[in-house]
Amino acid sequence: MPEEMSSLEQPIIEMRGISKAFGPVRALADVDLRLFPGEVLGLVGDNSAGKSTLMKILTGAYHRDAGEILVAGKTVNFKSPHESRDAGIEMIYQDFALCGNMDVGQNVFLGRWPRKGPFVDRKTMYSEADNVLKRLKVDVNSVHQRVESLSGGRQQSVAIARAISFEPRVVVLDEPTANLSVVATERLLETMLELKKHGVAQIIISHRLQDIFAVGDRVMVLKRGENVGEREIKRTTEHEVLALIVSGKPEK
Amino acid sequence: MSAAVTAPSPPARRRLPLEIIGGWEVGLIIFLILLYLAGVYINPRFFGSSAALSSVMRDAARYGVMAVGMTFVIVNKDLDLSVGSLYGLTAAVFAVSFAPSYFNTDLYLAVAWALAVGLLVGLINGVLVTILRVPAFIATLTMLFIGRGIVTGMSGGKTISFMSKAGEHPEFFIIGQNNAWGFNNQVFVFAVFAVVGMVVLAKTTAGYQTFATGGNELASDYAGIATRRVRMRAYLISAFCATVAGMMQVAQDRALIAQSGQGLELIVIAAVVVGGASILGGRGRVLGSVLGVILIVLIDKVLREGYATTRTVLVDKIEMKVQAVAQLPPGAVPAFLGLILILAVLIEPWVIRRNAIGRLWAKIRGLPIPPAPDVGSVAIVGAQTRGSVVSDRAMNARGLGKFLARRDAAAIIIAVVLWFAGIYLRPDFWGSLDNSFNLILAFTEVALLSIGLTFVIANGDIDLSVGSVLAMSGAIAAFSMKTMGFGPWTSILLALCGGMLAGAVNAAVTVRFKLPAFVATLGMFYTARGVAAWIVSGRELFGFPESFNLIGRKLIEALRYFDIAPAPDSFLFSLSAALSVLSIFMIVLAIMTAIILGYTIWGQQVYATGGNIRAAAYAGIDTDRVRALGLVFSALCGSLAGVIYIAFYRSFIPTAGQFRELDAIASVIIGGGSIFGGFGTIIGSLAGAAVITLLRALLSLQVIRADGSSFVLSQHWVNVFIGLILILAVVGDIWLRQSAALGIILKSLFARRWRRSRA
Repeated sequence: MPEEMSSLEQPIIEMRGISKAFGPVRALADVDLRLFPGEVLGLVGDNSAGKSTLMKILTGAYHRDAGEILVAGKTVNFKSPHESRDAGIEMIYQDFALCGNMDVGQNVFLGRWPRKGPFVDRKTMYSEADNVLKRLKVDVNSVHQRVESLSGGRQQSVAIARAISFEPRVVVLDEPTANLSVVATERLLETMLELKKHGVAQIIISHRLQDIFAVGDRVMVLKRGENVGEREIKRTTEHEVLALIVSGKPEK
Repeated sequence: MSAAVTAPSPPARRRLPLEIIGGWEVGLIIFLILLYLAGVYINPRFFGSSAALSSVMRDAARYGVMAVGMTFVIVNKDLDLSVGSLYGLTAAVFAVSFAPSYFNTDLYLAVAWALAVGLLVGLINGVLVTILRVPAFIATLTMLFIGRGIVTGMSGGKTISFMSKAGEHPEFFIIGQNNAWGFNNQVFVFAVFAVVGMVVLAKTTAGYQTFATGGNELASDYAGIATRRVRMRAYLISAFCATVAGMMQVAQDRALIAQSGQGLELIVIAAVVVGGASILGGRGRVLGSVLGVILIVLIDKVLREGYATTRTVLVDKIEMKVQAVAQLPPGAVPAFLGLILILAVLIEPWVIRRNAIGRLWAKIRGLPIPPAPDVGSVAIVGAQTRGSVVSDRAMNARGLGKFLARRDAAAIIIAVVLWFAGIYLRPDFWGSLDNSFNLILAFTEVALLSIGLTFVIANGDIDLSVGSVLAMSGAIAAFSMKTMGFGPWTSILLALCGGMLAGAVNAAVTVRFKLPAFVATLGMFYTARGVAAWIVSGRELFGFPESFNLIGRKLIEALRYFDIAPAPDSFLFSLSAALSVLSIFMIVLAIMTAIILGYTIWGQQVYATGGNIRAAAYAGIDTDRVRALGLVFSALCGSLAGVIYIAFYRSFIPTAGQFRELDAIASVIIGGGSIFGGFGTIIGSLAGAAVITLLRALLSLQVIRADGSSFVLSQHWVNVFIGLILILAVVGDIWLRQSAALGIILKSLFARRWRRSRA
């Protein structure tokens, strides 16, 4: 269990006792989460289990009612996703959040295009975008290609390339494989392992347990806004995790 | 989750059948009564008589019939700007067919013709919007211009009368007459349409389908509702209602006035949104629209009728009391109605949906304030139907292929071809210095507007008000020079400030209140033109200082003014004789904006915002700022064009810049812009502006036939033609450029052949 690891290392992210309600609906109740550097954590659960809400609270898109968040041991209070990004937390949305009318290089640097005087420094932009893509081993033909002409899997790769070009410490992927073909999913999982090699911690929200078992180190199960179990991938089975999702009881 | 989040519903204490009438309608009725009493107080002579009530109801009847149809369209989250034009068009078709001075047909044939034309226009609107996926405002706005051009072209701008022949058909013309109870029979038609519309929208499957489609088209589609058919049906209903209203008009007037129905869409749309329908779709009641119509007509009447005053005049040292009626100047009424439209579109999303009145009431009584419902749902921007399959032709192409793959290639090629067509048609005249000067000056005006619009359209917004802002700024400059006696520089500065103020209002409604740009700028479209007519009191102003007029003169004249003209017959002389002073200014502005859009961070932010506003916002771009700047800049370009306009014509007329928004939007789209945003370059827009300018010049060219006779196309038909070009450009952009439809068709053809050859 994670206690052994925590004694060795300080978690990069620690969420303690997070609660959140939307009007009369209790979305999260006293949820804890810990993520260690270079670790891949799977976050699973039924629909409306509170996975996305928990991640939105982490990135500052939602505000928590109770609980605290520590990044590398320091208490933080993000008011917007921009602040969490500055702290090294990147979220990749299910629908990629790219501009189809612009090319790959422009999208990797969306909103923070390098500048030379008053102008956009195109040379630096494209060469750095190329570097990031090479580092991820993504096979996009050219950084000059328009994003809407790319397949879904490659668009996903561009979104990830964009995320890691910020040199984040943590990447959160919301249903990354939901819209991808089998081949594209394979390639994405390779990319995630590549990221892990570079020491980036990742949280994956996914309905597909086999993906989490392919790349994950640990899996955490939410049910009706409560934490119902946490297992290390090496010491569990898909069947056990499925049982937790369906009929897990709060552990504390 | 949002469904579960809504606050516990209040105890079921239904006093009203809410699908028919709600609190808003009750409020409207009370307000109507108060307004009428105010009218009686201000102008007892008019509003105190029963004739006033009768005339309000008579006018409201025609507009009300149209508002019933419009409610269906607006609840569908669509818009029909063509109703006013169609009202005039069907009346014109009837008149031309029925009038003894024209075809002199049978009454019923004339009605059938009008009905056929009306339904055809509705069908075209529906096909453009649903099947060809042209945004509703652009499709129906073009239809407005086309219809207006046809009416003027057909009637020659004259009144077509059929008084005596109408006497032979009392069974039809009785519709427009007053009955024994003292009110007009049109009110009966109105009542029938209102009741039927109310029941159909509130109680039938068709109505439920309309609400579903407007609320969430995708979900309705998944649920098996034929949303295209629902939207098409609404356009047909709206066109049918406009046709009926047109028939009511000819029945009443027994004549056709060429300007009839001008600006009527403003009254109808304003009435529907005042009545509580949401421009964001999915909400609206026919009763509200009907009450809205009566309210708007009443406001219109109160504004128009003026109020009685008593002035004291000194005549030969004797004080005399003079009875007078203070009336608003021309233009003031449309200006107010435009403002009402701008304010009214805010009603549903910001007042009704957020329960603002209920919360205010609770605050006054000191009760706990109920929470405002989810505000997030207000931020709805027009659905983006961008084709995702665009081949990367541009990537692999080289040389000529690379040029052809550019989005602005077609515009550049067409512009060159058109210029040579002019040479071919009129070799004696086309290449002359005079013609070149006129072409370049006309080009300068359109180009200035399209430079500003390129930013707006690339942002994913639209600015329908540029032509009106042109007029308003021209009016301000003309008024300050002529009436106020200001110098040219002060006047230009004032004109530009006025234009930027209009742009700032557009930006505030669009960005701050999160309403679609076409609604905000549509309001400004009427307001700015009204203000323009108001400033100059509907008259022509001329006689400006010569130093100002130099702006619109040939460069050579300006150089002569300063005594530095080059020698005659030199190349420099010809060049400065063909260029106007402002063309030079426009070229400088074009180069600057081309650099800004193509190479700076701001330019990149514009394309990102237009491409995917959510992604851009998430990437830390201040999309509100980018969009607001675009709208203000576009208005600024419009006011610059206004200054040029009056400098060139040396006078200002209130119709300045009419139809110019059409030219400018067409220029940007032809030049590679997309109506859905994310594309458009300055070079492309300039090429597009050249195409439009050359087309207009070619179409109004006096063609000399072989037998020596000559022929000129009337300007109204030219406008019709430009409207068709705009629609073609938008459809072409959506279906050819964006989704590479040609490539797909070719590919499927070849694939079939390949399969057959293998079999």
